[in-house]
Amino acid sequence: MTRTITTHSSDASEHQAPDRMDSVPEAVLDVQNLHVYYQTSGGRVSAVNGVSFALGRKEVLGLVGESGSGKSTIAMALLRLIKSPGKIERGQVLLNGRDLLALSEDEMRLVRLAELAMVAQGAMNSLNPVMRVRDQIIDAWKDHDVELRGSEIDERISMLMQRVGLRAEDARRYPHELSGGMKQRAVIAIAISLRPSVIIADEPTSALDVVVQRQVFDTLQQVQDEIGASVILIGHDMGLMAQSVDRLGVMYAGEIVELSPVRDVFRNPLHPYTRLLIASLPSLDKKGALRGIPGMPPSLLTRPPGCPFQPRCPMATALCESEAPLLSLKRPNRMVACHHVDTQL
Amino acid sequence: MTALLEAVQITKTFGGGIFQAPATLAVDNFSLRIEGEPPAITAVVGESGSGKTTLARLLLGEIAPTSGAVHYLGKDLTKLSRKERKAFRRDVQVIFQDPYEVYNPFYTVDHVLTMPARKFGLSKSKSETSESIRQALTAVGLRPDETLGRYPHQLSGGQRQRLMVARALLIQPRVIIADEPVSMVDASLRATILDNLKSLTREFGVSILYITHDLVTAYQISDNIIVLYRGSIAEAGHAEPVVQQPQHPYTQLLMHSIPLPDPDRTWPREQQSSEIGKLATNFAGCKFARRCPHAMDVCLERHPALFQTGPDRVSACYLYQDSPELTARSIDAVFATSEAGPGPVTN
Repeated sequence: MTRTITTHSSDASEHQAPDRMDSVPEAVLDVQNLHVYYQTSGGRVSAVNGVSFALGRKEVLGLVGESGSGKSTIAMALLRLIKSPGKIERGQVLLNGRDLLALSEDEMRLVRLAELAMVAQGAMNSLNPVMRVRDQIIDAWKDHDVELRGSEIDERISMLMQRVGLRAEDARRYPHELSGGMKQRAVIAIAISLRPSVIIADEPTSALDVVVQRQVFDTLQQVQDEIGASVILIGHDMGLMAQSVDRLGVMYAGEIVELSPVRDVFRNPLHPYTRLLIASLPSLDKKGALRGIPGMPPSLLTRPPGCPFQPRCPMATALCESEAPLLSLKRPNRMVACHHVDTQL
Repeated sequence: MTALLEAVQITKTFGGGIFQAPATLAVDNFSLRIEGEPPAITAVVGESGSGKTTLARLLLGEIAPTSGAVHYLGKDLTKLSRKERKAFRRDVQVIFQDPYEVYNPFYTVDHVLTMPARKFGLSKSKSETSESIRQALTAVGLRPDETLGRYPHQLSGGQRQRLMVARALLIQPRVIIADEPVSMVDASLRATILDNLKSLTREFGVSILYITHDLVTAYQISDNIIVLYRGSIAEAGHAEPVVQQPQHPYTQLLMHSIPLPDPDRTWPREQQSSEIGKLATNFAGCKFARRCPHAMDVCLERHPALFQTGPDRVSACYLYQDSPELTARSIDAVFATSEAGPGPVTN
């Protein structure tokens, strides 16, 4: 994988340092001004456009967004798994103070799983179909130079299995012998096997039924608590976010447009997109008119000038068309990228 | 009155040949009448493996039931004449889950609109066709100029799915079977498409069978809900009571599992299944017994009948065995018609 980090930029908005007043105590992970683009035949698609956030110890941070908002690209960029034609253009990813983007490929390989683990979307695709679960765990350990004696291996594997709510003997099964929920638990077992400080969960239950989803989330929350890891939960389901994260970042067109404690986001959304998104959610309390957000997300190939949400925004003014708002502190603990948070229209 | 579309005790099993694993019962003795007049939206809710997509394919005549029959205007689907078959193909339309796979990438999207217009002789002239196409597109919130003449890959998933709704509108069917029409669409567009479907019923008098895994959207747009569990009806009735006071333990489990978009409402933990249910192996009783927190001895003996627990609902659970068994031939006896009342008669 190639890695380019440019230190300067001609992009006007880049000269302003992102507002770092969202001080997160004991930040485990600190992402600053991350830019990722994909080179396509039609031109450059900027999938992640200057994203900054910090993740506190034992914190669960949600990143919610629609398809194409860049949320999964962030996950892959943090793990440095962006493949050509994608490229991390610039930014910093500080994990326990160390910049991951400056590491060699060999060093990075050791960071993955041991410090930064991933639970990906669709468990069926992330397990090797011709290896028993147990061998996949041992494989991961070997790759990280963890050497254990036979009895220790058995003991640790059965402990891991129990921790994620599987039976010890399930480790001897092949992935196809497990149900979807069990597979996703096996993936969680692998992810926590080296006690990482950060777990990235990218739509961990999107392929599962609601009942199983509930169980897998129970497991995830429990193991997170036990090993004291921080979690970045990536997804599109606002309900899941409301129920499982501490802080929520709302993404739109490759940018975080609002980053606040989850209760505040739902009680009093400050960005117009967040507000419309929450209003569009179907409710179980009462039947009412379903309100979608008019218009469509912008093509990332030709970004609109100014604020990316401006073409769909009911509050947009001339300022929004000319100047992109920066994510900045608008209320205590609340970061919003909008010119009109304090304007009542 | 002859129902427009009727499933008469249909059962569908897959597999189960001599050298294969035991047969899977995908749909188990299911009956439903879709009158079409007055129109209504009925949701079929179930998890993966509940048989909901098999049910859709049976009703569309894509696959034949192992036993029982699907009737269109009182006639078995497999015995329709050429002419009747064409009428069936027009009256009963489908909207699939994946808006990416239904298009032929070599044709512009106009093709999916002009083809049925020609095939069914919907209009007399080219200009009339193009006028009704433009109307249908506008009705689902697409701008004709930005949509027509494009290739499928130039449209987003949400646009393609709305185009399918526009197509259904153009053909003016009497029933639409919509199989997870919004599960691949983003939240902000989901509401718009569901609203499009609702207005098809309200304004054009089309009945809709909305097949989904999502109780929340089912509640929002449907008049009635059928909850399927492994091929059998667990609970059915008016949407309001089924969702607000679910009776069947499976519906209750589904309701509790939904993560609500409100941080102040906690996500309740799963209830433990009862000892009786957990210990049970190989029994012919209720399919849900093994996971059920209320399982009793009787649940292991035979599958419960549909008990009519109210004028507007039925529940297949022995907790309600004091209620009378449903005597009607199919569950729509307890269903409501669209809240908006019958729409203006089309055609």
